[in-house]
Amino acid sequence: MEFKDYYRILGVEPDAETKDIKTAYRKLARKYHPDLNPGEEAEANFKEVAEAWEVLKDSERRAEYDELRKYGGRQEQFRPPPGWQQAGHGEHFSGDFSDFFNAIFGADLRREGAWAGGVDRGGQDVEIEMPVFLEETVSDCQKPVEYEIPVLEGNQLRHRRKSLKVKIPAGVTDGERIRVKGQGAPGSGSGAPGDLYLHIRLVPHPVFDVEGHNLLVTVPIAPWEAALGARVVIPTLEGRISLSVAPGSQSGQKLRVRGKGLAGRSGRGDLIALLKVVMPPQTDAATDPLWQELADKAAFDPRAEWSKQS
Amino acid sequence: MTTSTVTITLEEFCSSQGVSRTALLEMVEYDVVQPTGGHGEQDWKFDCSSVQWAKRALRLKRDLELDWVAVAILVDLMRERESLARENEQLRLRLQRFLAGE
Repeated sequence: MEFKDYYRILGVEPDAETKDIKTAYRKLARKYHPDLNPGEEAEANFKEVAEAWEVLKDSERRAEYDELRKYGGRQEQFRPPPGWQQAGHGEHFSGDFSDFFNAIFGADLRREGAWAGGVDRGGQDVEIEMPVFLEETVSDCQKPVEYEIPVLEGNQLRHRRKSLKVKIPAGVTDGERIRVKGQGAPGSGSGAPGDLYLHIRLVPHPVFDVEGHNLLVTVPIAPWEAALGARVVIPTLEGRISLSVAPGSQSGQKLRVRGKGLAGRSGRGDLIALLKVVMPPQTDAATDPLWQELADKAAFDPRAEWSKQS
Repeated sequence: MTTSTVTITLEEFCSSQGVSRTALLEMVEYDVVQPTGGHGEQDWKFDCSSVQWAKRALRLKRDLELDWVAVAILVDLMRERESLARENEQLRLRLQRFLAGE
């Protein structure tokens, strides 16, 4: 196995004082802590740093390590010296440490609490991302989920695939978590299994935007529809409805359709139709004269505010 | 079909892997996680995300050797950052839609 140079990992001299080692550890922990830095690389770095600190913070453990370092630090492949007593004295470490650490301080997989035979311990919780379409949130829905759980087979930690159908309650929101009891990793002994957590991610919709429990839909309208008023058909999560646009409507104006938004624990939100006046994509010989006539007859300066200032 | 829940009780929370009752009560005291509804502890309910935040808080407290006040501030800021990131993403999508076709 590989010899771990804990001093190098923490970037300190072998004769450094504990308080300096602590400072070095805390700086690196801040830099690599998996809860502050996403990504597997940070997690791997943090494990090394935490392991180094676990050994060097304890004067007895550090002394043992220093002895070994004299003996094995220069070898390519580290083997504990013959007759080396595992110095862990049955200590329990809750962390996830390297083979090197386990060989010296004696916490191998079997002895590690989570998997210890005869110890009743709850199984791990498992969390997975669960994409949900907006349409599915309106009422309770059933979704298949597939995930992996860690299980101990013999002394080997393996991953087993699991699949379930889960009822997703109506009104789930983006970023929310829901819990499926007892569907996490199995416990050891008579320990209860862990839970499965589904981290809800609302899939971006091609038409609707989400704002709290309200939905927004941009409704393109022609200039004459804005001017004269119109009935336009707009989509909702459950089919189309007809919406009345008042004469003289403006681009950016919002029309509220009550109860057609997302489901929430305290009733449904609203659908907000945002009007957007759009021009025909091309000019057209038949309509150009009409626009010209409108320009001549309508006494309208949309930039009147600016003219006043200059 | 397996049913799911959106909230978790105090008892269930404490039986959750790695969260002791003492630690949970401390986290409630320092506002790291907040129960919703209920007058007494036995009626407390937490939203399920609280479990992940509680575990995260405990890891940060242990690994960075922080006190509860620091953990509470950190978790608060992390939650706020997460919700701002989500809001930012939603606004970005809206902007994209608004600019499309211009």
